[in-house]
Amino acid sequence: MKHSKAWGAWLIVTMAIILSTRNPVYLLVLLISLLTLGSFFKRKDRTGLWLLQNLRFSGTMILLSSLINAIFTHTGKHVIFTIPVNWPLIGGPITLESLIFGMVNGLIIGSLYLAFNIFNLVLNIKQITGLIPKIFHPISITITIALTFFPSVQQRAKEIREAQLIRGNQMKRISDWLPLFLPLLITSLENAIVLSESMTARGYHSQRSAVPARIVTSSLIFSAFLIFSGWILGIYDYPILFSTGLYSIGGLVILIIFLYANRRVKITRYHHETWHRRDSFTVLLLVTAFVVWIVLQTGAKLPTAAYSVYPALSFPAVQVEGIVLSCTPIIPLPFLNK
Amino acid sequence: MIKISGLSFSYPNTQHNALKDIHLTIKSGTLVLVTGPSGSGKSTLLRCINGLVPHFSGGMIDGEIEVCGINPIRAGVKAMAECVGIVFQEPETQFVYDVVEDEIAFSLENKGIERKEMQKRVSGILEKLGLIELRQRKIRTLSGGEKQKVAIAGALVNQPQVLLLDEPTSQLDPIGAEQILDLIVSLKNDLDLTILLSEHRLERVLAYTDIIANLSQAGTLHSGLPDEILRDMDQVPPIVTIAKHLGIESFPIQPEAFPAVKFMKDIPPQNKRLDIHPVPSQNAISVHNLSVNLNGTQILDHVDLSFETGKIHTLVGLNGAGKTTLLRSIMGFVPFEGTIHILQQEVKQVELRTLIKHVAYLPQNPGDLLFADSVFEEMEITLKNHQLERERSAIIDFIAQFDLDDLANKYPRDLSVGERQRTALAAITIQDPKIILLDEPTRGMDYKAKRHLKAILTAWRNRGKTIIVVTHDIEFAALLADKVTILKSGRIVFSGSPETAFTQIPGFRTQTAQLFPGTDWTVPEDIPF
Repeated sequence: MKHSKAWGAWLIVTMAIILSTRNPVYLLVLLISLLTLGSFFKRKDRTGLWLLQNLRFSGTMILLSSLINAIFTHTGKHVIFTIPVNWPLIGGPITLESLIFGMVNGLIIGSLYLAFNIFNLVLNIKQITGLIPKIFHPISITITIALTFFPSVQQRAKEIREAQLIRGNQMKRISDWLPLFLPLLITSLENAIVLSESMTARGYHSQRSAVPARIVTSSLIFSAFLIFSGWILGIYDYPILFSTGLYSIGGLVILIIFLYANRRVKITRYHHETWHRRDSFTVLLLVTAFVVWIVLQTGAKLPTAAYSVYPALSFPAVQVEGIVLSCTPIIPLPFLNK
Repeated sequence: MIKISGLSFSYPNTQHNALKDIHLTIKSGTLVLVTGPSGSGKSTLLRCINGLVPHFSGGMIDGEIEVCGINPIRAGVKAMAECVGIVFQEPETQFVYDVVEDEIAFSLENKGIERKEMQKRVSGILEKLGLIELRQRKIRTLSGGEKQKVAIAGALVNQPQVLLLDEPTSQLDPIGAEQILDLIVSLKNDLDLTILLSEHRLERVLAYTDIIANLSQAGTLHSGLPDEILRDMDQVPPIVTIAKHLGIESFPIQPEAFPAVKFMKDIPPQNKRLDIHPVPSQNAISVHNLSVNLNGTQILDHVDLSFETGKIHTLVGLNGAGKTTLLRSIMGFVPFEGTIHILQQEVKQVELRTLIKHVAYLPQNPGDLLFADSVFEEMEITLKNHQLERERSAIIDFIAQFDLDDLANKYPRDLSVGERQRTALAAITIQDPKIILLDEPTRGMDYKAKRHLKAILTAWRNRGKTIIVVTHDIEFAALLADKVTILKSGRIVFSGSPETAFTQIPGFRTQTAQLFPGTDWTVPEDIPF
């Protein structure tokens, strides 16, 4: 699989599955699937550290999330120990339930981080921003600059820190960091000005919008009004047909304006990505897995996805279909380029 | 192609005219060298030509400009993008994308050029600039010269008729600079481009110049053929200085065109080092078997070197040769193998706060050091960091040797490049270190500022301090070096006297040495006029 849109589909499906379960076993399977997929790429790039770094990050997330949740949430029957209640904010019993609840949060955060990490690994900045519709070209450029700017700011911060250490600044107290922050801020602003000059001088935003702004704005206001009206009618128990109709018309107007404006934007793309058969296979499998997951969830046929430690702590139950669907992130593996 | 008449400009909130009653006419296919002291308005003039001034800067502008038949003051930057390309001083600050060909295609995508045409144009420009091999490389992995070429490609892909280059060689080694300048001239000839190039190091660009536009500190401009303009210029490169001394009427701007002059070639260099007060030398820094490997790249490879007290050592070499890494190793900022002894102490055994009492290090960008509200406060901060106290009058006396006493209350970032560099130098040396390391201290400096810096460094050397200067500025290095080390790909390829380095090593010969082969003369001051 190579096409950025196929990887975009992979990210959406993976995120949807991660965010729609709290079963620690399924989340663990998701995490292992992501680590397996990610380490496959890194082996290709001959960087064995990737697995270790991400295991460390996920472990830290799980640990931190468990501890923070346990310290601030004192709900649960299984008390491990108690912090004196007169201690502000953190005083109270530390329970096994809150620890496990936090651990599940950590698994979700770790899995989401890994999904984005892999997405960044397989696509370059241009491919990622290329997924943003042309009508949002300024947003895609802003994201590109932010992504390319970050490593350079890191480098500058390192250089400035060294320069300040040379002047005898020990960089120990918070106030010692002002000499780092100020030059970094000023040089970043200066560089941002040069970049904007360079972009304008190279014709950025030199074309007038093909769709008048007033048409776009008035259409969006009109569709927002329709959707809002549908919501109000829904609240006051009008027949569902009214609100559904208004939602649909409002949504349709937004879609039409969006597609119309997108087609009229005269920005072109330098790269052409070829859609291969393996991209189709992967996306088909991903969509199938996603639909099955949704059907099982909405039909209450996968109750184990909604695990909770409250009101009573229990071992998470698992179903075979849940385990199998949690392996969804690994679907692209057989279709990767050799 | 370009017609400027009666152009005056002042930046917002200033009374001072950055440009004053400028008149300039440039035909197509001409290379114009825009020169003048720091702060004379070179970059401002370039920015007027594509409308960045006043559309980005604000300010008051008066007069007329016509470029490709368009008035940039009225039309604005976006309209001028069709006709004028610009490359800024630091190419890395102007890149939008992280991959070479994506960056070059940026302006074409914005213009909505069809993909096939775009790919054709990008490939064409990559080929022309010798960047084909690098088309998919990450820009951050390129050398300074390669980055400069990518920036030029990004400007040229739009097929402009005018190309503006703001100090395009300021970060490049002599060989890289020559390659870029050769490329610019071939582009000018092949594409009939009109090029305006601002530059301080005239010795590098004079040979390529058709017209000189010389700005004064007051913002006025004198332009004409090199011969006419150089006659009245104070700050001139060595070749012109020598020609003036010899009374040559028509100034040769490249060594090959210099008339044969008979000198007694066995006369040793005249007076360059007469200001030395001999101090018994001992090793201030000893580097033994130094190797540095960063992210799998061997930056320094078994380097053995020593730096003596009371001497100015210069480190020269191509971009990426490992010069800055050597300085950073001495400061203990990079992990290394081998040993470095500073004043008989092993660097790895010494804490940085102890080291900086004896060693000062000026990094490439003086802006990294400066953050206080005034020059005076910058000095106070260093003293406070070192838990030292000085009277106000003592601090003023100290900064007076840098000619900064009148600027004591000025905001450092508002100063000219040379003044800012001197402020940074003062801020790192006020604790009176024995060893001073300088990384590219002359970047962006005009001849006057360089002379001032030379005077400061020479005075310190005479007081027994050890000075190590990393520089691409060969003429400056030749002016002050007692010992020269040339690095190439992390190894020392030469270590010895400046007379040998700057007269015999290809790529590092000064203009004076090129004019008088067979002598030991490296700078005009050496010649027995």
